[in-house]
Amino acid sequence: MAVGTVARAGRVLLVVWFLLPLVPILLWSVANQWRFPALSPSEWGLTGLRSALSAGAVDAFATSAILGVSVAGLATPAGALAARGLVLHRVHFRGPAAALLLAPLAFPPFAVAMGLDVLILRAGIPNLIGAVLILTVVAIPYTTYIMRVGFGAYDIRYEEEARTLGASHWVVFWQVQIPLLAPAIATAGFLAFLVGWTDYIVTLLVGGGRLVSVPVLVGAFASGSGNQPVVAALSVAAIAPPLVLLLLLWRLRGRRAP
Amino acid sequence: MAAKQIGRTLATVAVAAVMTLAGCSAPSPDAPEPAETTWTEVEEAAVGQTVSLWMWGGDEQGNRYVDSVLAPAAAEAGVTLRRVPVADTGEAVNRILAERQAGITDGDVDLVWVNGDNFATGKQAGAWLCNWTDQLPNMQYTDPDDPLLLSDFGTPVDGCEAPWHKAQFTLVYDEASIPEPPATLEGVLQWAKDNPGRFTYPAPPDFTGSVFIREVLTRVADDVPLEYSDEAYEQHSAPLFDTLNDLAPSLWRAGRTYPQTVEELNQLFADGQVDMMMTYGPATLTDLVGRGTFPDTTRVLLLDEGTVGNASFLAVPSTSGNSAGARVVANIALSPQQQLEKAKPDVWGQFTVLDSDRLNDEDRASFDALPESPVVPTYEELSRNARPELATAWVPALDEGWRRTVLAGR
Repeated sequence: MAVGTVARAGRVLLVVWFLLPLVPILLWSVANQWRFPALSPSEWGLTGLRSALSAGAVDAFATSAILGVSVAGLATPAGALAARGLVLHRVHFRGPAAALLLAPLAFPPFAVAMGLDVLILRAGIPNLIGAVLILTVVAIPYTTYIMRVGFGAYDIRYEEEARTLGASHWVVFWQVQIPLLAPAIATAGFLAFLVGWTDYIVTLLVGGGRLVSVPVLVGAFASGSGNQPVVAALSVAAIAPPLVLLLLLWRLRGRRAP
Repeated sequence: MAAKQIGRTLATVAVAAVMTLAGCSAPSPDAPEPAETTWTEVEEAAVGQTVSLWMWGGDEQGNRYVDSVLAPAAAEAGVTLRRVPVADTGEAVNRILAERQAGITDGDVDLVWVNGDNFATGKQAGAWLCNWTDQLPNMQYTDPDDPLLLSDFGTPVDGCEAPWHKAQFTLVYDEASIPEPPATLEGVLQWAKDNPGRFTYPAPPDFTGSVFIREVLTRVADDVPLEYSDEAYEQHSAPLFDTLNDLAPSLWRAGRTYPQTVEELNQLFADGQVDMMMTYGPATLTDLVGRGTFPDTTRVLLLDEGTVGNASFLAVPSTSGNSAGARVVANIALSPQQQLEKAKPDVWGQFTVLDSDRLNDEDRASFDALPESPVVPTYEELSRNARPELATAWVPALDEGWRRTVLAGR
């Protein structure tokens, strides 16, 4: 009983800890003016949203969505294949192979982008494809890691059972593997989506200014004075799509739970 | 067996491809020059081009001016102007240098709003197209002997960038808190000591913070040469850092910490946590007061001895495939109509680079009739006793000296 109360209090504290920093951003996004030391905005309004829309927020959201979905679409299957190989197959040098797959985590995307942008330019790879490729490299460690956990809990005997019963490769893939791994795939895809959705430096440098995504727009506004309303409005709007995905993910996990 | 062989061949090809791609022939540092010989040729080549203008996107008024005033004017000349918002102009320079290394001649940056060390860095690497500003018909309205247009932080302009507007380093205060403001920089430092916690400056290498310490340098040391030399640094930096160390305990939070950027300082001022701030872009003040970000009692502090001024420019990267279009835009931006529109406080409020003696009577009258900002004095007043910037080489030396001597000393 007492343990339950403590655990619940801890959970509430954790939620507050995460949500508290968001409160000023939420308030700023609907404030025209807010001066220290006032505790609440001195003038409510939607100038932030209007500025964001006139600065091309709609296009920026479309660009970010394209980046996020493309990176998720490439990095998730790649991570799944790598993880399957690492978990279910005999791999020489398993440790170094895993370390190599996770290596991009050790480098900031900036360092990755700075050398690769010249290579990508020289190879004549179009901006969007170049940015997606580099961001996919950044995302693969996350998807590999999540899928390794997924495959760790995966029982290959279901697959073998289906094969014995005469199921084809496709049937095994669609009816056994995908359903069993769905929660892990969704989580990995979500993380990869976030990599594309939130990136600034690769999008700008490799995208050559053709990809004005939400972070590029936010970064530009945040570097100036008096732009809190527009930065907040864009930030709040930018949190919405990942939040929706996260809720869908929870529902998916809920359904799968026994 | 066969599969293994194919795999090995593929690997060899891949390695060879990467080696070829990565094997950089270093780009030549010589600045290229435009191919067109007459302005008519440039205008003809420009029609149908799309020009990507990379510029700092933190100033909403500036963004709006480009989108709704400059871009339509460019469209009339057949050029589509596309604005790329960046948080820092250095990102544009990085992109150009990468394109240059890759041997790209149809790059994604066609025009850059640039100034100071970003220009110097690019010029050193031959990243800018040069000797093209003489061709611009609207250059006739600028003063060919204006020192601010001939040298950009000590780097000779050499026709590698077209002037866009002028700026003046400006101290700003709240009249409600300082009814009797000091009139000299020494007076400001004394005021800061008398009112502990109400003054601070952004930590170098923030652009404006650096300017401030250079202003103090030229006040505490006599005859600081514009050109940098180690001897000059040795001689003049000691009294500067003594003064700043002496000032530190009286600063905001007792000088144990500094705002990291001028935006943070602006926010402290907007919040009423300090009574004075500084900016190299006084043009935005009118709008910031109008929007209520800064109090109505915001005033510009005019120093008896004047402050430093500079001009900012539009440069065309040598990697641009639309350089004719970019030059046409630079020329339009320099026209009396555009300079006038941009100077209106409700549009952008930027000071013109044109010389009023060279304008026709009608244009001169229009400039004279510009509405006065309630906050920002005219350029003539603001630039009284103006001094040119010290050469770029001073900047990193003083920034590093400040970090070691003043920041580490607290």
